[in-house]
Amino acid sequence: MSIEEAFALAEAEAKLEQALADNKTRFDNAVLPNRYNEDWRFGRPNKFAMALAETLQRNANCHGGASVQHAGDSAVPVALAANDDLRQTEMLMPTIGSDALLGLHLKRFGNGYALYIEEDTKEPIRLTYKTSGLYTPSTFIMVAPGVKAHVIEQYCGTGACTMFATRNIQVAEGAELMVELNADVDAGSYMVITNIQNMGGKVKHLTELRGEWVREETIAEIYTPDADVQLYSANRLAGNQVLDQHTRQIHHAGGSSSNLLYKNVVDDNATAIFAGNIYVAPAAHHTDAYQSNRNMLLSDKATIHSLPGLEILADKVRCSHGSASAPMDDEQLFYLCARGIPKHEAQLLVADGFLADATDKFRGNIQTT
Amino acid sequence: MSLIIKDLYARVKDGAQILNGVSLEIPKGQVHAVMGPNGSGKSTLSKVLCGHPDYEVISGTAELDGQDLFSMSVDERSRAGLFLAFQYPVEVPGVSNANFMRAALQARLPKGEELDAVSFYKTMRSTMSKLGMDTKFTARAVNEGFSGGEKKRNDVLQMMMLEPTYAILDETDSGLDVDALRIVSDGVNAMRAPFRSFMIITHYKRLLDYIRPDVVHVLYKGKIVRTAGYELVEQIEQNGFDFLKTEE
Ligand SMILES: Nc1ncnc2c1ncn2[C@@H]1O[C@H](COP(=O)(O)OP(=O)(O)O)[C@@H](O)[C@H]1O
Ligand SMILES: [Mg+2]
Repeated sequence: MSIEEAFALAEAEAKLEQALADNKTRFDNAVLPNRYNEDWRFGRPNKFAMALAETLQRNANCHGGASVQHAGDSAVPVALAANDDLRQTEMLMPTIGSDALLGLHLKRFGNGYALYIEEDTKEPIRLTYKTSGLYTPSTFIMVAPGVKAHVIEQYCGTGACTMFATRNIQVAEGAELMVELNADVDAGSYMVITNIQNMGGKVKHLTELRGEWVREETIAEIYTPDADVQLYSANRLAGNQVLDQHTRQIHHAGGSSSNLLYKNVVDDNATAIFAGNIYVAPAAHHTDAYQSNRNMLLSDKATIHSLPGLEILADKVRCSHGSASAPMDDEQLFYLCARGIPKHEAQLLVADGFLADATDKFRGNIQTT
Repeated sequence: MSLIIKDLYARVKDGAQILNGVSLEIPKGQVHAVMGPNGSGKSTLSKVLCGHPDYEVISGTAELDGQDLFSMSVDERSRAGLFLAFQYPVEVPGVSNANFMRAALQARLPKGEELDAVSFYKTMRSTMSKLGMDTKFTARAVNEGFSGGEKKRNDVLQMMMLEPTYAILDETDSGLDVDALRIVSDGVNAMRAPFRSFMIITHYKRLLDYIRPDVVHVLYKGKIVRTAGYELVEQIEQNGFDFLKTEE
């Protein structure tokens, strides 16, 4: 080892140590979710998040199975237990009011996969995480420059399970990534913190989430001009389900673009919360950023909290945000029934059609006039 | 066998009374035209027959081949053979034309029987080509972003796919150009049969020259005020509806 190499290594180690120390302070200073925290105001933290924190603190055993399915040599999946990249990136992960929970996640660290995608994927790479207990998996996806990739993550939980996942997604210059997260935790609760770092590629991200209590934090950071991030979500809620979605579109560089479309169909006593924010840094001129949250209400008792937000510190940007909640359109329903489709089925079609707006845009199969 | 409407009074829910005793009988195999000034209640009549939730029947009956229409749900009426091509077809975002028609045809099959997807698509495509519609419309969301004429054609497509025994066309000709009008009329004429009847609501003689009605009615202020043969169409074409006012 040359002097320079030794010096570089020592420096890297010092950095890591510093990061560890910083993180310890960050988590030690963080408080567990409570409803007085703005980022947790409507998410019923007392019932589920506190339970999650308690279970994590008790250090209960992790019961989960991870599997990966991929065709060809497009990616090298690496089981995460032995992976340092993940620990480091996870340590630096931003959260939306969940530093303390992330700290607990880091401490007990389940398993998961790192995908280094260096060739175009012919078939989508499928990652599946399954549990019936407590599970804290992690995913790390890195797409190399110019590579086109499609990843489908599936989280299946049965019974009153608890899942808490972190996802780190890094996309290099000229790369294109379509990534979808399909989580169904049935009667359980589920939380996922996703951090997308876009260094000049195009990212399309879709979440389809279902569970008794689900919290999504998705933070997209855009570092170069021409980088584009599209965030989509399409969900159906019923019973007493709670879906608590928080997003950040962070534009560090000008000339970049982002778009968000989150749609929910909310029935019975279910609650959908959306709190999004677009941040445009002072120097990030000529940014295009849009954000839209749309909800279809199928019941008088369903609850919607929609809090879109903008924080624009640059000039000459094009940004907009909007939210709308409305019951299902009677005319649409009538039109389908008038063709002989039974009412219940017609309702399903209209609701699916409402959500298809988001999933179709994600898949890019939009029919134009 | 016929569609029999007797002394039908109906109003907008919690609102104005629009139909003031409509009586009308359309036997199978016949084409009846219904004309009348704007606001007479033509669209209301057709929507009341289909069970549109905006309206309320006050009194009167409507029978479809002896079945009481008003005791049936909207979808049951359709499956019993009633069809309405709407004056203003509705846009249904995210539901493709193909899925829509599939669901409508599937609903007509006995429980447990699956619609044959291959023959369905074949029929849909060939019907579309008869109507001069691009097959890309199968994947398009129902009426979303369609031009006025495309929407009307799409409703006629649905009629041809569902093969109703009683079809009401509410101003299907408005918004159609000359060529489209001929194509649509050809489609309707091809469907004319001894077991099927049509109620054609229109303002224009042009359509009725293509689709010759057996009987012509004039609806005015929520009532049928005239019933005659084709000559009534010519009279209205020349003199308008002024005769209604002088009679009042
Ligand atoms: N849903 C409704 N709400 C309020 N008024 C209505 C409604 N539907 C129809 N009307 C009124 O009923 C009358 C008849 O309308 P319509 O049946 O559309 O007439 P036409 O089709 O003969 O032109 C009009 O005055 C119209 O404004
Ligand atoms: Mg009308």
